[in-house]
Amino acid sequence: MAGAVSTFPTRVRTPRRATAESPVVKVVLITTLVVFFALFLVLPLFVVFQEAFSKGVETFLKTFEDRATAHAVKLTLIVAAISVPLNTIFGLAAAWAMTRFQFRGRALLTSLIDLPLWVSPVIGGLIYVLVFGAGGWFGPWLRANDIQIIFALPGLVIATIFVTFPFVARGLIPLMQAQGHKEEEAAMTLGASGWQIFWRVTLPKIKWGLLYGVILCNARAMGEFGAVSVVSGHIRNKTNTMPLHIEILYNEYQIAAAFAVASVLSVLALVTLVVKAYAEWRAERQLMEAMQTSEGPNP
Amino acid sequence: MSITIKDISKNFGKFAALKGVNCEVRTGELVALLGPSGSGKTTLLRIIAGLEFAEEGQVFFSGRDVTDHSAYQRKAGFVFQHYALFQHMNVFENVAFGLRVRSARSRPKESDIRARVESLLETVQLADYAKRLPSQLSGGQRQRVAFARALAIEPEVLLLDEPFGALDAKVRRELRTWLREFHNTVHLTSLFVTHDQEEAFEVADRVVIISEGLIQQIGTPSEVRSNPANTFVEEFLDVAQFTA
Repeated sequence: MAGAVSTFPTRVRTPRRATAESPVVKVVLITTLVVFFALFLVLPLFVVFQEAFSKGVETFLKTFEDRATAHAVKLTLIVAAISVPLNTIFGLAAAWAMTRFQFRGRALLTSLIDLPLWVSPVIGGLIYVLVFGAGGWFGPWLRANDIQIIFALPGLVIATIFVTFPFVARGLIPLMQAQGHKEEEAAMTLGASGWQIFWRVTLPKIKWGLLYGVILCNARAMGEFGAVSVVSGHIRNKTNTMPLHIEILYNEYQIAAAFAVASVLSVLALVTLVVKAYAEWRAERQLMEAMQTSEGPNP
Repeated sequence: MSITIKDISKNFGKFAALKGVNCEVRTGELVALLGPSGSGKTTLLRIIAGLEFAEEGQVFFSGRDVTDHSAYQRKAGFVFQHYALFQHMNVFENVAFGLRVRSARSRPKESDIRARVESLLETVQLADYAKRLPSQLSGGQRQRVAFARALAIEPEVLLLDEPFGALDAKVRRELRTWLREFHNTVHLTSLFVTHDQEEAFEVADRVVIISEGLIQQIGTPSEVRSNPANTFVEEFLDVAQFTA
Protein backbone atom coordinates (compact mmCIF):
# COMPACT_ATOMS: atom_id res chain seq x y z
CA MET A 1 0.00 0.00 0.00
CA ALA A 2 2.82 2.31 0.87
CA GLY A 3 4.34 1.63 -2.54
CA ALA A 4 1.22 2.81 -4.33
CA VAL A 5 1.39 6.17 -2.64
CA SER A 6 5.08 6.73 -3.27
CA THR A 7 4.72 6.39 -7.05
CA PHE A 8 3.58 10.00 -7.16
CA PRO A 9 6.55 12.34 -7.00
CA THR A 10 5.97 14.96 -4.32
CA ARG A 11 7.15 18.47 -4.81
CA VAL A 12 8.03 20.31 -1.65
CA ARG A 13 7.49 24.05 -1.65
CA THR A 14 7.21 26.76 0.92
CA PRO A 15 3.68 28.06 0.83
CA ARG A 16 3.33 31.79 0.55
CA ARG A 17 0.47 33.87 1.73
CA ALA A 18 -2.07 34.98 -0.81
CA THR A 19 -1.43 38.64 -0.06
CA ALA A 20 2.37 38.34 -0.37
CA GLU A 21 4.07 40.11 -3.27
CA SER A 22 6.52 38.41 -5.57
CA PRO A 23 10.03 37.80 -4.12
CA VAL A 24 11.54 40.54 -6.30
CA VAL A 25 9.25 43.22 -4.88
CA LYS A 26 9.99 41.96 -1.39
CA VAL A 27 13.76 42.18 -1.86
CA VAL A 28 13.57 45.64 -3.42
CA LEU A 29 11.36 47.00 -0.65
CA ILE A 30 13.43 45.58 2.18
CA THR A 31 16.70 46.77 0.64
CA THR A 32 15.32 50.27 0.22
CA LEU A 33 14.24 50.27 3.84
CA VAL A 34 17.61 49.05 5.13
CA VAL A 35 19.54 51.56 3.01
CA PHE A 36 17.27 54.34 4.17
CA PHE A 37 17.73 53.39 7.81
CA ALA A 38 21.49 53.13 7.44
CA LEU A 39 21.80 56.44 5.64
CA PHE A 40 19.42 58.57 7.65
CA LEU A 41 19.42 57.02 11.11
CA VAL A 42 22.40 54.80 11.84
CA LEU A 43 25.09 56.77 10.03
CA PRO A 44 24.34 60.14 11.67
CA LEU A 45 24.23 58.46 15.06
CA PHE A 46 27.58 56.86 14.35
CA VAL A 47 29.04 60.19 13.23
CA VAL A 48 27.89 61.86 16.45
CA PHE A 49 29.83 59.42 18.59
CA GLN A 50 32.76 59.30 16.18
CA GLU A 51 33.15 63.10 16.28
CA ALA A 52 32.54 63.27 20.02
CA PHE A 53 35.48 61.01 20.71
CA SER A 54 37.62 62.24 17.77
CA LYS A 55 40.04 63.99 20.10
CA GLY A 56 40.10 61.25 22.68
CA VAL A 57 38.16 60.41 25.80
CA GLU A 58 39.94 63.06 27.84
CA THR A 59 38.78 65.90 25.63
CA PHE A 60 35.31 64.40 25.70
CA LEU A 61 35.23 64.44 29.49
CA LYS A 62 36.80 67.89 29.65
CA THR A 63 33.88 69.29 27.67
CA PHE A 64 31.63 68.77 30.64
CA GLU A 65 34.01 70.48 33.05
CA ASP A 66 33.46 73.68 31.11
CA ARG A 67 31.21 75.92 33.19
CA ALA A 68 28.83 76.87 30.40
CA THR A 69 28.38 73.28 29.30
CA ALA A 70 27.80 72.03 32.83
CA HIS A 71 25.22 74.78 33.29
CA ALA A 72 23.44 73.84 30.06
CA VAL A 73 23.17 70.24 31.21
CA LYS A 74 21.84 71.32 34.58
CA LEU A 75 19.33 73.74 33.05
CA THR A 76 18.02 71.08 30.69
CA LEU A 77 17.49 68.73 33.63
CA ILE A 78 15.69 71.45 35.60
CA VAL A 79 13.40 72.35 32.69
CA ALA A 80 12.52 68.68 32.17
CA ALA A 81 12.05 68.11 35.89
CA ILE A 82 9.44 70.88 36.00
CA SER A 83 7.66 70.46 32.69
CA VAL A 84 7.41 66.66 32.54
CA PRO A 85 5.55 66.20 35.88
CA LEU A 86 3.25 69.12 35.01
CA ASN A 87 2.46 67.65 31.61
CA THR A 88 1.90 64.26 33.20
CA ILE A 89 -0.79 65.79 35.36
CA PHE A 90 -2.27 67.84 32.49
CA GLY A 91 -2.20 64.80 30.23
CA LEU A 92 -3.92 62.60 32.79
CA ALA A 93 -6.56 65.22 33.42
CA ALA A 94 -7.14 65.72 29.70
CA ALA A 95 -7.38 62.00 28.97
CA TRP A 96 -9.72 61.58 31.92
CA ALA A 97 -12.00 64.38 30.75
CA MET A 98 -12.02 63.17 27.13
CA THR A 99 -12.82 59.56 27.91
CA ARG A 100 -15.07 59.83 30.97
CA PHE A 101 -17.31 62.74 30.12
CA GLN A 102 -19.53 63.56 27.19
CA PHE A 103 -19.63 67.27 26.57
CA ARG A 104 -20.09 69.77 23.78
CA GLY A 105 -16.81 70.53 22.00
CA ARG A 106 -15.12 67.32 23.05
CA ALA A 107 -14.12 66.44 19.49
CA LEU A 108 -12.69 69.92 18.99
CA LEU A 109 -10.67 69.65 22.20
CA THR A 110 -9.36 66.24 21.20
CA SER A 111 -7.92 67.64 17.99
CA LEU A 112 -6.67 70.77 19.76
CA ILE A 113 -4.52 68.59 21.99
CA ASP A 114 -2.51 67.78 18.87
CA LEU A 115 -1.96 71.43 17.99
CA PRO A 116 1.63 71.57 19.28
CA LEU A 117 2.49 68.64 17.00
CA TRP A 118 1.46 70.30 13.78
CA VAL A 119 2.37 73.86 14.48
CA SER A 120 6.04 74.84 14.00
CA PRO A 121 7.87 74.92 17.35
CA VAL A 122 9.18 78.38 16.46
CA ILE A 123 5.62 79.65 16.50
CA GLY A 124 5.19 77.88 19.84
CA GLY A 125 8.01 80.02 21.20
CA LEU A 126 6.95 83.19 19.43
CA ILE A 127 3.42 83.26 20.85
CA TYR A 128 4.85 83.39 24.36
CA VAL A 129 7.21 86.21 23.42
CA LEU A 130 4.18 88.07 22.09
CA VAL A 131 2.25 87.42 25.28
CA PHE A 132 4.90 87.71 27.99
CA GLY A 133 7.74 89.54 26.19
CA ALA A 134 8.75 93.17 26.82
CA GLY A 135 6.48 94.43 24.02
CA GLY A 136 3.82 91.79 24.62
CA TRP A 137 0.37 91.91 26.23
CA PHE A 138 1.55 91.37 29.77
CA GLY A 139 5.02 92.84 29.21
CA PRO A 140 4.55 96.20 30.97
CA TRP A 141 2.73 94.62 33.92
CA LEU A 142 5.37 91.93 34.33
CA ARG A 143 8.14 94.49 34.18
CA ALA A 144 6.37 96.70 36.73
CA ASN A 145 6.18 93.73 39.08
CA ASP A 146 9.74 92.68 38.35
CA ILE A 147 8.77 89.29 36.96
CA GLN A 148 10.84 87.93 34.11
CA ILE A 149 9.37 85.17 31.99
CA ILE A 150 10.92 85.54 28.57
CA PHE A 151 14.73 85.10 28.48
CA ALA A 152 14.46 83.29 31.82
CA LEU A 153 13.62 79.88 33.28
CA PRO A 154 9.80 80.36 33.35
CA GLY A 155 9.82 81.06 29.60
CA LEU A 156 11.85 77.93 28.90
CA VAL A 157 9.47 75.84 30.99
CA ILE A 158 6.35 77.32 29.39
CA ALA A 159 7.68 76.80 25.86
CA THR A 160 8.67 73.23 26.72
CA ILE A 161 5.27 72.50 28.22
CA PHE A 162 3.61 73.77 25.06
CA VAL A 163 5.68 71.58 22.79
CA THR A 164 5.42 68.41 24.91
CA PHE A 165 1.80 68.74 25.91
CA PRO A 166 0.27 66.13 23.54
CA PHE A 167 2.42 63.12 24.40
CA VAL A 168 0.87 61.93 27.67
CA ALA A 169 -2.73 62.60 26.67
CA ARG A 170 -2.35 61.01 23.24
CA GLY A 171 -0.92 57.86 24.74
CA LEU A 172 -3.71 57.55 27.28
CA ILE A 173 -6.85 58.47 25.36
CA PRO A 174 -7.08 55.35 23.14
CA LEU A 175 -6.11 53.10 26.05
CA MET A 176 -8.67 54.56 28.43
CA GLN A 177 -11.32 54.51 25.72
CA ALA A 178 -10.79 50.79 25.13
CA GLN A 179 -10.75 49.99 28.82
CA GLY A 180 -14.03 51.75 29.53
CA HIS A 181 -14.93 52.40 33.13
CA LYS A 182 -16.68 49.26 34.32
CA GLU A 183 -13.90 48.50 36.79
CA GLU A 184 -14.20 51.99 38.23
CA GLU A 185 -17.96 51.51 38.55
CA ALA A 186 -17.41 48.19 40.31
CA ALA A 187 -14.99 49.87 42.72
CA MET A 188 -17.58 52.57 43.36
CA THR A 189 -20.28 50.05 44.29
CA LEU A 190 -17.77 48.43 46.65
CA GLY A 191 -17.49 51.71 48.53
CA ALA A 192 -14.22 53.11 47.17
CA SER A 193 -13.81 56.89 47.08
CA GLY A 194 -12.73 58.74 43.94
CA TRP A 195 -9.16 59.01 45.17
CA GLN A 196 -8.99 55.32 46.06
CA ILE A 197 -10.41 54.40 42.66
CA PHE A 198 -7.74 56.44 40.91
CA TRP A 199 -4.81 54.96 42.83
CA ARG A 200 -5.98 51.38 43.17
CA VAL A 201 -7.91 50.78 39.96
CA THR A 202 -7.30 53.36 37.24
CA LEU A 203 -3.57 53.98 37.66
CA PRO A 204 -2.57 50.29 37.61
CA LYS A 205 -4.72 49.86 34.51
CA ILE A 206 -3.02 52.64 32.58
CA LYS A 207 0.47 52.66 34.05
CA TRP A 208 2.31 51.39 30.98
CA GLY A 209 0.50 53.71 28.63
CA LEU A 210 1.25 56.53 31.03
CA LEU A 211 4.93 55.61 31.26
CA TYR A 212 5.11 55.47 27.48
CA GLY A 213 3.73 59.00 27.23
CA VAL A 214 5.96 60.33 29.99
CA ILE A 215 9.08 58.94 28.31
CA LEU A 216 8.24 60.51 24.97
CA CYS A 217 7.40 63.74 26.75
CA ASN A 218 10.73 63.71 28.56
CA ALA A 219 12.73 62.98 25.41
CA ARG A 220 11.12 65.88 23.64
CA ALA A 221 11.45 68.17 26.66
CA MET A 222 15.20 67.62 26.83
CA GLY A 223 15.74 67.76 23.09
CA GLU A 224 13.48 70.69 22.15
CA PHE A 225 15.26 73.37 20.15
CA GLY A 226 12.90 75.62 18.20
CA ALA A 227 10.41 76.87 20.74
CA VAL A 228 13.02 77.11 23.48
CA SER A 229 15.40 78.95 21.17
CA VAL A 230 12.90 81.77 20.66
CA VAL A 231 12.24 82.41 24.35
CA SER A 232 15.74 81.70 25.59
CA GLY A 233 17.78 84.62 24.33
CA HIS A 234 20.82 82.31 24.36
CA ILE A 235 22.38 83.79 27.46
CA ARG A 236 25.34 81.65 28.36
CA ASN A 237 25.29 80.30 31.93
CA LYS A 238 21.74 81.49 32.22
CA THR A 239 19.25 80.40 29.60
CA ASN A 240 21.15 77.98 27.41
CA THR A 241 19.79 74.46 27.38
CA MET A 242 21.75 71.56 25.92
CA PRO A 243 20.37 71.72 22.37
CA LEU A 244 21.00 75.50 22.26
CA HIS A 245 24.45 75.06 23.71
CA ILE A 246 25.31 72.50 21.02
CA GLU A 247 24.51 75.05 18.35
CA ILE A 248 26.67 77.71 20.01
CA LEU A 249 29.62 75.34 20.38
CA TYR A 250 29.26 74.31 16.76
CA ASN A 251 29.12 77.89 15.54
CA GLU A 252 32.26 78.60 17.52
CA TYR A 253 34.03 75.77 15.74
CA GLN A 254 34.33 73.72 18.91
CA ILE A 255 33.29 70.71 16.88
CA ALA A 256 34.43 67.98 19.31
CA ALA A 257 32.71 69.71 22.24
CA ALA A 258 29.52 70.21 20.25
CA PHE A 259 29.42 66.55 19.35
CA ALA A 260 30.29 65.52 22.89
CA VAL A 261 27.18 67.28 24.20
CA ALA A 262 25.22 65.94 21.25
CA SER A 263 26.32 62.42 22.09
CA VAL A 264 24.85 62.76 25.57
CA LEU A 265 21.50 63.74 24.07
CA SER A 266 21.83 60.83 21.65
CA VAL A 267 22.40 58.38 24.50
CA LEU A 268 19.29 59.79 26.10
CA ALA A 269 17.46 59.12 22.87
CA LEU A 270 18.71 55.54 22.73
CA VAL A 271 17.72 54.87 26.34
CA THR A 272 14.33 56.41 25.61
CA LEU A 273 13.98 54.13 22.63
CA VAL A 274 14.60 50.99 24.68
CA VAL A 275 12.35 51.98 27.59
CA LYS A 276 9.75 53.17 25.12
CA ALA A 277 9.76 49.87 23.26
CA TYR A 278 9.27 48.01 26.51
CA ALA A 279 6.53 50.32 27.79
CA GLU A 280 4.83 50.21 24.41
CA TRP A 281 4.84 46.43 24.48
CA ARG A 282 3.35 46.37 27.96
CA ALA A 283 0.82 49.08 27.07
CA GLU A 284 -0.25 47.09 24.04
CA ARG A 285 -0.82 44.06 26.23
CA GLN A 286 -2.92 46.15 28.59
CA LEU A 287 -4.93 47.34 25.61
CA MET A 288 -5.39 43.79 24.31
CA GLU A 289 -6.52 42.61 27.71
CA ALA A 290 -8.97 45.49 27.90
CA MET A 291 -10.44 44.59 24.52
CA GLN A 292 -10.66 40.91 25.41
CA THR A 293 -12.38 41.34 28.73
CA SER A 294 -14.85 43.96 27.59
CA GLU A 295 -16.26 41.77 24.82
CA GLY A 296 -18.16 38.60 24.35
CA PRO A 297 -18.00 35.15 25.92
CA ASN A 298 -14.85 33.84 27.49
CA PRO A 299 -13.25 30.41 27.42
CA MET B 1 -33.90 45.33 53.11
CA SER B 2 -36.58 46.23 50.59
CA ILE B 3 -36.19 48.38 47.48
CA THR B 4 -38.93 50.79 46.41
CA ILE B 5 -38.93 52.61 43.10
CA LYS B 6 -41.25 55.59 42.81
CA ASP B 7 -42.12 57.35 39.54
CA ILE B 8 -38.64 57.02 38.08
CA SER B 9 -38.06 58.74 34.71
CA LYS B 10 -34.78 58.89 32.88
CA ASN B 11 -33.80 60.40 29.54
CA PHE B 12 -30.65 59.99 27.50
CA GLY B 13 -30.74 63.10 25.36
CA LYS B 14 -34.03 62.89 23.51
CA PHE B 15 -34.48 59.19 24.20
CA ALA B 16 -36.77 58.39 27.14
CA ALA B 17 -35.31 55.25 28.72
CA LEU B 18 -37.73 55.10 31.65
CA LYS B 19 -41.15 56.74 31.79
CA GLY B 20 -42.46 56.85 35.34
CA VAL B 21 -41.59 53.43 36.70
CA ASN B 22 -42.97 52.10 40.00
CA CYS B 23 -42.07 48.80 41.59
CA GLU B 24 -40.97 47.12 44.76
CA VAL B 25 -38.62 44.34 45.74
CA ARG B 26 -39.60 42.99 49.16
CA THR B 27 -37.10 41.99 51.80
CA GLY B 28 -35.50 38.64 51.04
CA GLU B 29 -37.07 38.36 47.61
CA LEU B 30 -35.37 37.37 44.37
CA VAL B 31 -36.90 39.37 41.55
CA ALA B 32 -36.16 39.24 37.83
CA LEU B 33 -36.35 42.36 35.70
CA LEU B 34 -37.28 40.90 32.33
CA GLY B 35 -37.50 42.70 29.02
CA PRO B 36 -36.14 42.90 25.48
CA SER B 37 -32.95 44.86 24.82
CA GLY B 38 -33.47 48.60 24.94
CA SER B 39 -36.42 48.24 27.31
CA GLY B 40 -34.71 50.23 30.09
CA LYS B 41 -34.13 47.34 32.48
CA THR B 42 -30.39 47.85 32.88
CA THR B 43 -30.89 51.59 33.27
CA LEU B 44 -33.33 50.94 36.10
CA LEU B 45 -30.88 48.60 37.81
CA ARG B 46 -28.08 51.15 37.50
CA ILE B 47 -30.33 53.85 38.96
CA ILE B 48 -30.99 51.61 41.96
CA ALA B 49 -27.23 51.05 42.39
CA GLY B 50 -26.47 54.77 42.13
CA LEU B 51 -24.44 54.37 38.93
CA GLU B 52 -26.99 56.44 37.05
CA PHE B 53 -29.27 59.19 38.27
CA ALA B 54 -32.88 59.75 37.24
CA GLU B 55 -34.43 63.09 36.27
CA GLU B 56 -37.56 62.31 38.22
CA GLY B 57 -38.67 59.96 40.96
CA GLN B 58 -37.22 58.44 44.07
CA VAL B 59 -35.42 55.32 45.24
CA PHE B 60 -35.99 53.97 48.75
CA PHE B 61 -34.00 51.33 50.59
CA SER B 62 -36.22 50.02 53.42
CA GLY B 63 -38.24 53.23 53.35
CA ARG B 64 -35.09 55.40 53.54
CA ASP B 65 -34.77 57.87 50.65
CA VAL B 66 -31.43 57.18 48.91
CA THR B 67 -32.25 59.06 45.69
CA ASP B 68 -29.36 61.48 46.13
CA HIS B 69 -26.90 58.99 47.60
CA SER B 70 -23.93 58.05 45.45
CA ALA B 71 -23.07 54.44 44.60
CA TYR B 72 -20.25 54.85 47.07
CA GLN B 73 -22.74 55.53 49.87
CA ARG B 74 -25.38 52.99 48.86
CA LYS B 75 -23.06 50.02 48.82
CA ALA B 76 -25.46 47.78 46.99
CA GLY B 77 -23.69 44.64 45.81
CA PHE B 78 -23.48 44.85 42.02
CA VAL B 79 -22.57 42.10 39.58
CA PHE B 80 -21.76 43.18 36.02
CA GLN B 81 -22.48 41.27 32.85
CA HIS B 82 -18.83 41.29 31.83
CA TYR B 83 -17.62 40.74 35.39
CA ALA B 84 -15.60 44.01 35.60
CA LEU B 85 -12.97 42.29 37.72
CA PHE B 86 -9.81 44.21 38.53
CA GLN B 87 -7.45 42.78 35.94
CA HIS B 88 -4.25 43.54 37.80
CA MET B 89 -5.36 41.97 41.09
CA ASN B 90 -5.54 38.29 41.83
CA VAL B 91 -8.79 36.61 42.85
CA PHE B 92 -8.12 37.09 46.56
CA GLU B 93 -7.42 40.83 46.20
CA ASN B 94 -10.47 41.31 44.00
CA VAL B 95 -12.70 39.90 46.70
CA ALA B 96 -10.85 41.75 49.47
CA PHE B 97 -11.10 45.13 47.67
CA GLY B 98 -14.35 46.28 49.26
CA LEU B 99 -12.93 45.59 52.72
CA ARG B 100 -9.55 47.18 52.07
CA VAL B 101 -10.97 50.50 50.88
CA ARG B 102 -12.90 51.06 54.10
CA SER B 103 -11.75 53.84 56.36
CA ALA B 104 -9.16 52.83 58.94
CA ARG B 105 -11.84 52.94 61.62
CA SER B 106 -14.22 50.43 60.07
CA ARG B 107 -11.66 48.29 58.24
CA PRO B 108 -11.45 44.73 59.55
CA LYS B 109 -8.11 43.37 60.75
CA GLU B 110 -5.94 41.70 58.12
CA SER B 111 -6.63 38.29 59.66
CA ASP B 112 -10.38 38.94 59.55
CA ILE B 113 -10.17 40.06 55.92
CA ARG B 114 -8.30 36.86 55.11
CA ALA B 115 -10.85 34.69 56.89
CA ARG B 116 -13.78 36.44 55.24
CA VAL B 117 -12.33 36.26 51.73
CA GLU B 118 -11.42 32.60 52.16
CA SER B 119 -14.90 31.69 53.33
CA LEU B 120 -16.43 33.59 50.38
CA LEU B 121 -14.16 31.79 47.93
CA GLU B 122 -15.30 28.58 49.57
CA THR B 123 -18.91 29.59 48.99
CA VAL B 124 -18.32 30.14 45.28
CA GLN B 125 -16.14 27.03 45.05
CA LEU B 126 -12.97 28.87 44.10
CA ALA B 127 -10.85 28.32 47.22
CA ASP B 128 -7.98 26.91 45.14
CA TYR B 129 -7.93 29.88 42.78
CA ALA B 130 -7.08 32.67 45.21
CA LYS B 131 -3.71 33.43 43.60
CA ARG B 132 -4.92 33.39 39.99
CA LEU B 133 -5.41 36.50 37.91
CA PRO B 134 -8.84 37.04 36.33
CA SER B 135 -7.32 36.48 32.87
CA GLN B 136 -6.43 32.93 33.94
CA LEU B 137 -10.02 31.99 34.74
CA SER B 138 -12.93 30.79 32.64
CA GLY B 139 -16.02 32.97 32.20
CA GLY B 140 -18.03 31.06 34.79
CA GLN B 141 -15.19 31.29 37.30
CA ARG B 142 -14.83 35.00 36.69
CA GLN B 143 -18.49 35.58 37.33
CA ARG B 144 -18.26 33.63 40.58
CA VAL B 145 -15.37 35.84 41.66
CA ALA B 146 -17.57 38.83 40.86
CA PHE B 147 -20.30 37.35 43.09
CA ALA B 148 -17.87 36.82 45.94
CA ARG B 149 -16.51 40.35 45.52
CA ALA B 150 -20.00 41.87 45.68
CA LEU B 151 -20.89 39.78 48.74
CA ALA B 152 -17.69 40.69 50.60
CA ILE B 153 -19.03 44.10 51.64
CA GLU B 154 -22.06 42.39 53.21
CA PRO B 155 -24.53 44.30 51.06
CA GLU B 156 -28.17 44.39 52.01
CA VAL B 157 -29.25 44.18 48.41
CA LEU B 158 -27.70 42.37 45.47
CA LEU B 159 -28.12 43.79 41.98
CA LEU B 160 -27.18 41.65 38.99
CA ASP B 161 -26.95 42.95 35.44
CA GLU B 162 -27.43 40.05 33.01
CA PRO B 163 -25.14 38.00 35.25
CA PHE B 164 -25.18 34.99 32.96
CA GLY B 165 -25.35 36.88 29.68
CA ALA B 166 -21.73 36.35 28.65
CA LEU B 167 -21.59 32.64 29.49
CA ASP B 168 -22.24 29.58 27.38
CA ALA B 169 -25.44 27.59 27.85
CA LYS B 170 -24.13 24.88 30.17
CA VAL B 171 -22.30 27.19 32.58
CA ARG B 172 -25.30 29.48 32.49
CA ARG B 173 -27.61 26.74 33.69
CA GLU B 174 -25.21 25.66 36.45
CA LEU B 175 -24.68 29.15 37.69
CA ARG B 176 -28.36 30.06 37.82
CA THR B 177 -29.13 26.91 39.80
CA TRP B 178 -26.32 27.91 42.11
CA LEU B 179 -27.76 31.44 42.45
CA ARG B 180 -31.20 30.07 43.36
CA GLU B 181 -29.71 27.72 45.95
CA PHE B 182 -27.53 30.46 47.34
CA HIS B 183 -30.56 32.69 47.64
CA ASN B 184 -32.53 29.97 49.41
CA THR B 185 -29.88 29.83 52.13
CA VAL B 186 -29.12 33.55 52.53
CA HIS B 187 -32.33 35.33 51.47
CA LEU B 188 -30.50 38.43 50.38
CA THR B 189 -32.86 40.88 48.67
CA SER B 190 -31.88 40.50 45.01
CA LEU B 191 -32.85 42.01 41.70
CA PHE B 192 -31.47 40.65 38.47
CA VAL B 193 -31.80 41.86 34.93
CA THR B 194 -32.30 39.41 32.09
CA HIS B 195 -33.75 39.20 28.62
CA ASP B 196 -34.17 35.43 28.94
CA GLN B 197 -37.68 34.41 29.95
CA GLU B 198 -36.69 30.88 30.90
CA GLU B 199 -33.98 32.20 33.18
CA ALA B 200 -36.33 34.67 34.85
CA PHE B 201 -39.12 32.15 35.40
CA GLU B 202 -36.82 29.44 36.67
CA VAL B 203 -34.89 31.52 39.18
CA ALA B 204 -37.09 34.37 40.40
CA ASP B 205 -39.82 34.60 43.03
CA ARG B 206 -41.45 37.36 41.06
CA VAL B 207 -40.95 38.77 37.60
CA VAL B 208 -41.14 42.42 36.53
CA ILE B 209 -41.72 42.69 32.80
CA ILE B 210 -40.59 45.95 31.27
CA SER B 211 -40.75 47.33 27.76
CA GLU B 212 -40.03 50.73 26.23
CA GLY B 213 -39.41 52.26 29.64
CA LEU B 214 -42.74 51.13 31.08
CA ILE B 215 -43.58 48.28 33.40
CA GLN B 216 -45.97 45.89 31.66
CA GLN B 217 -46.67 43.42 34.42
CA ILE B 218 -45.47 42.33 37.86
CA GLY B 219 -46.21 38.91 39.27
CA THR B 220 -45.03 35.41 40.10
CA PRO B 221 -43.92 33.33 37.11
CA SER B 222 -47.13 31.32 37.14
CA GLU B 223 -49.32 34.42 37.42
CA VAL B 224 -47.62 36.06 34.48
CA ARG B 225 -47.69 32.94 32.39
CA SER B 226 -51.33 32.05 33.05
CA ASN B 227 -52.59 35.59 32.93
CA PRO B 228 -50.60 37.98 30.73
CA ALA B 229 -51.62 41.57 31.44
CA ASN B 230 -51.55 42.80 27.84
CA THR B 231 -50.70 41.87 24.28
CA PHE B 232 -47.06 42.87 24.68
CA VAL B 233 -46.52 40.38 27.51
CA GLU B 234 -48.43 37.73 25.61
CA GLU B 235 -46.37 38.20 22.47
CA PHE B 236 -43.06 38.58 24.30
CA LEU B 237 -43.59 35.32 26.18
CA ASP B 238 -44.73 33.54 23.01
CA VAL B 239 -41.69 34.62 21.05
CA ALA B 240 -39.41 33.80 23.95
CA GLN B 241 -40.84 30.31 24.13
CA PHE B 242 -40.02 29.73 20.50
CA THR B 243 -36.44 30.91 20.74
CA ALA B 244 -35.65 29.39 24.15
